[in-house]
Amino acid sequence: MSDVAIGMDAVWKKFHRGERHDSLRDLIPAAARRLMRGAQPATELGQDDFWALRDVSFEVQRGDALGIIGHNGAGKSTLLKILTRLLRPTLGTYATNGRIGALIEVTAGFHPDLTGRENIFLNGSIIGMKKADIARRFDAIVDFSGIGEFIDTPVKRYSSGMNARLGFSVAAHLEPEILIVDEVLSVGDYTFQGKCIRWMQNLLGSGTTVIFVSHNMDSVLSLCNTALLLDQGRVTAQGDLKKVIGEYYNSGGRYRPELLPEPKAQTVEFSGTTGGDLVVGPGERVTFTHTVSALEDVELGPGFFVHRGEKTVVDTTYARMRGHPLRMRAGDTVKIEWSLAFNLPAGVYEVGYHIGNIAGGYHEYQSRACIVTVGDDPRVKGDSFVALHLDAHRIENPSLHVTASGAGVLP
Amino acid sequence: MLADLKGASVEVWQHRELLEQLTKRDIKLRYKQAAMGFAWAIFMPCLIVLSGLIIRFAMAQISGQALHPKDIANIAIKGVGWSFFVGALGFATASLIGNSNLVTKIYFPREVLPLASVAAQGFDTSIGLLTLVVILPFLGVRLHASFVWIPLLLFLLVTFTTGVSMFLSCANLFFRDVKYIVQVVLMFGIFFTPIFFEPAMLGPRGAMLATINPLTGILEGLRLAVVDGRDLLHPIMGMVKGVERQIWNPWELVYSAVCAVSILLGSTLMFRRLQPLFAEYV
Repeated sequence: MSDVAIGMDAVWKKFHRGERHDSLRDLIPAAARRLMRGAQPATELGQDDFWALRDVSFEVQRGDALGIIGHNGAGKSTLLKILTRLLRPTLGTYATNGRIGALIEVTAGFHPDLTGRENIFLNGSIIGMKKADIARRFDAIVDFSGIGEFIDTPVKRYSSGMNARLGFSVAAHLEPEILIVDEVLSVGDYTFQGKCIRWMQNLLGSGTTVIFVSHNMDSVLSLCNTALLLDQGRVTAQGDLKKVIGEYYNSGGRYRPELLPEPKAQTVEFSGTTGGDLVVGPGERVTFTHTVSALEDVELGPGFFVHRGEKTVVDTTYARMRGHPLRMRAGDTVKIEWSLAFNLPAGVYEVGYHIGNIAGGYHEYQSRACIVTVGDDPRVKGDSFVALHLDAHRIENPSLHVTASGAGVLP
Repeated sequence: MLADLKGASVEVWQHRELLEQLTKRDIKLRYKQAAMGFAWAIFMPCLIVLSGLIIRFAMAQISGQALHPKDIANIAIKGVGWSFFVGALGFATASLIGNSNLVTKIYFPREVLPLASVAAQGFDTSIGLLTLVVILPFLGVRLHASFVWIPLLLFLLVTFTTGVSMFLSCANLFFRDVKYIVQVVLMFGIFFTPIFFEPAMLGPRGAMLATINPLTGILEGLRLAVVDGRDLLHPIMGMVKGVERQIWNPWELVYSAVCAVSILLGSTLMFRRLQPLFAEYV
């Protein structure tokens, strides 16, 4: 029981849409109205009110890293603001056990006219560090930020990257017991981001509890061991990291091209098995079958693609792999087999397909036919060169069998 | 209620280093890239004394009485006190709104924001006070035993100013027109506070009305103790228009003290209760 670092129990948070009375002139009539009607109970929504969080409950064990994911406006920031005591829940309770450090808008305490040095002390005390501690870690902070000789320059002359790096560096030396991180890793260049991830992994290793909010599923996967998905203020999935991320991909909108007004072919079935989600080991070969039927005589280039978040791992078409389009007569049904070795880094991948024509139009487009989760493999580190051993063939006509195999680099 | 007051003071005490840093920031920002530099600190008191002199000169012309160097001393000491009150209120009223990026992003006891504004103004005012220490002897002010009253009077001035500052910063966060009301009130407030004149000049009834302003007791006390070297523990009689009248009642000080302390406690309490709403309304 004592190992719970953060607990939230049935938390609801109500917000008001639009303007509140901002001047005394508006207050007096509003107060009079409230007197006449009586105060509105907390559980009810008034006009223009909405719930930003609805019945949110979760627990984070000490030393765990919880990833909070969800689309914009899902309530992630509201949740963090409650945990960092900036907002008070309308209903429900929460408890935190340990010194909280928040990496949310790390430059909020900076004043543009003050120098980097002055801002380190100012920002450090704003986020709760003692002056002596800041002085002791001053060199380490400057070193981590890479600001170097510009430390005595007013921060208004800094680039936005320098600004953010300095802010992050101050916050990084707070040594919190509970660390709350909101999308700050998007600041700084690649090397700095790597530095931040390593720093957070170190913290996790030393038993710090982490709450991490991000839209970058790769960072969530590499940092967290549990996750929570918010959708319109509700917790829609919670627990197993890969499942929650899969759910996140399922819930969101994806790229949808404009379809041809009169489709001449359609998918009867994709991946005849369950159509559900798969969990595979690294390098495991998976075969997806795509059954296409033509409504008219048509030339097609059915496509197959695999995405990881915003990145494309594979995007190809039958026509591209075989060198010629798929010619079909009205009423024909063809089964295409896509066979792919998931020789990929651990992560959550989305598999989609389409039926395209030769001119680049689409008769059908399905961006997320199934989710494949690739498990961990010590042999795969980061984004490495991998052999995908992708091939495609039409199984109705074995004479055409061609295997296309290739090695690619993950973008 | 007591728990709230205790919570506020404990938390502010825990964040005293933050208060120090914010005060330093406010002071630095006032003097960084500023054309006037430290002259700024005595700029407002000087203007107040100058305006007071014009008014007193006009009054002297009409009444036929000569302007005495001590009159300048009277206006100067009250002017410095008034400029502290006005300056602190001006900065403190905007302190929560002006730091809205902090209020919405990072948790710390928000009391430190108006407190830092008052403290930064305190720095300016101490420069003004030091200037007074140099000037007053030339205006005929001599060292008196009554100077022991100074710390108490300054303490009351700071207490009252802090209380009003906390109230206004909080009110301005919820209602943006408070800032404009404060501006207007402060612009004319100098006529409702005996800076350029002594309450007794308003006649017995006017003097009574003037003491409703809690600053009257504090500033008049300061003047009597410093310039006239009078003991504030006893009623003081003075000559007004050739008639002897009571110009000081010790209860005035008690009244000011009660006002100052209750305003500070009341506004602290209000601030504490409303604080959780700040991030939502700012």
